[in-house]
Amino acid sequence: MIIFAIAIGCLVGIMLGINAPAVSYIYSDYLAIAIIAALDSVFGGITATLKEKFDFKVFVSGFFGNAILSMLLILLGKKLNVDIYLAAVVVFVGRMFNNLTMIRRFYLEKWDNLMKLKEQVKQEKSNQTKTEK
Amino acid sequence: MNKSKIVVAITIGLMSFMMIYIMMVQINIVNEYDGEEIEIMREAELKTTLAAYKEKYEEANNELIDTKAKIEEYKKDEKTEEDAIKLLEEEVEEANMLLGKTDVKGQGIIITLDNGEEEGIELTSISTEDLVELINELKLAGAEAISINEKRIIATSDIAEVGYSAIRLINNERTTAPYIIKAIGDIKYLQSALNIKGGYVDSALAYGHKIKIETQENMTIEKYKKDITMDYVKK
Repeated sequence: MIIFAIAIGCLVGIMLGINAPAVSYIYSDYLAIAIIAALDSVFGGITATLKEKFDFKVFVSGFFGNAILSMLLILLGKKLNVDIYLAAVVVFVGRMFNNLTMIRRFYLEKWDNLMKLKEQVKQEKSNQTKTEK
Repeated sequence: MNKSKIVVAITIGLMSFMMIYIMMVQINIVNEYDGEEIEIMREAELKTTLAAYKEKYEEANNELIDTKAKIEEYKKDEKTEEDAIKLLEEEVEEANMLLGKTDVKGQGIIITLDNGEEEGIELTSISTEDLVELINELKLAGAEAISINEKRIIATSDIAEVGYSAIRLINNERTTAPYIIKAIGDIKYLQSALNIKGGYVDSALAYGHKIKIETQENMTIEKYKKDITMDYVKK
């Protein structure tokens, strides 16, 4: 059901987004960082789900909170003439990679476990046949 | 439990929608500005390019000023050339007028000269010498343009007789009496030159010719209608 909701959301987003009105280039920095922050939250959420530590409130607050906070930080950076968005990108993308690593490892372990289980089953089966003989 | 799950699903759906939507907007923006170098540049780079462009602009501006000055000069030259052309044209016109190649206007006299008649019998016909004499007299009195029967008398004009007939050739064109001689010049001089005692009018009357002199303030003498050609004269 959740996957269904995500698929519908993505489809509607693409359909509406293709004909989206052109926004001034000035805001592209903010939008980019908001997207990165949201993606970071998404991957964080996936990792948390895999670890069975997923909290919906944390996820939603992180999704919106990170996006808005990063945008505000960039605004501050523009006022202070510091490229804060670089730092934000580094942090968010770094965390994204961490989460991706965790997800990859989780599935690799799962795969390994599955393979071991299969081998065990095979061995058990062969043992059984041996004893039967 | 089920209700909260629905809420979660809807929220996540909305969130994914928002994220994708913003992504598409951003992609649109980037696509729109794609290839525009200036958008990728840092401020410092922009400053240097701006300075470069300013320099270029100044150079171009200087060039423009130079070119404008040159154009101005050329225009001046053109003007003097135009003046020269005008002057030349005026000269040509004047020369044409002197030659008799243009119609001319002015004050002058009209002399009507005819053979004397007595009861239908011609007494004496006007000879070419009479005409030549008359023209000489007129020229002496300062006539600037003369024509006989609308045949302009110019430098190369001829007045000749055809045998002993009444036909006279003027400018190689046939004509007969009566002769209407027009002359532009000072009316007083012309009239007095002809009317002087023992002058042309007297002698013409003595020969039995009919002569009549009229004055006109503004008359026209037609131009010499043939080409003036010179085949043997060389510089």
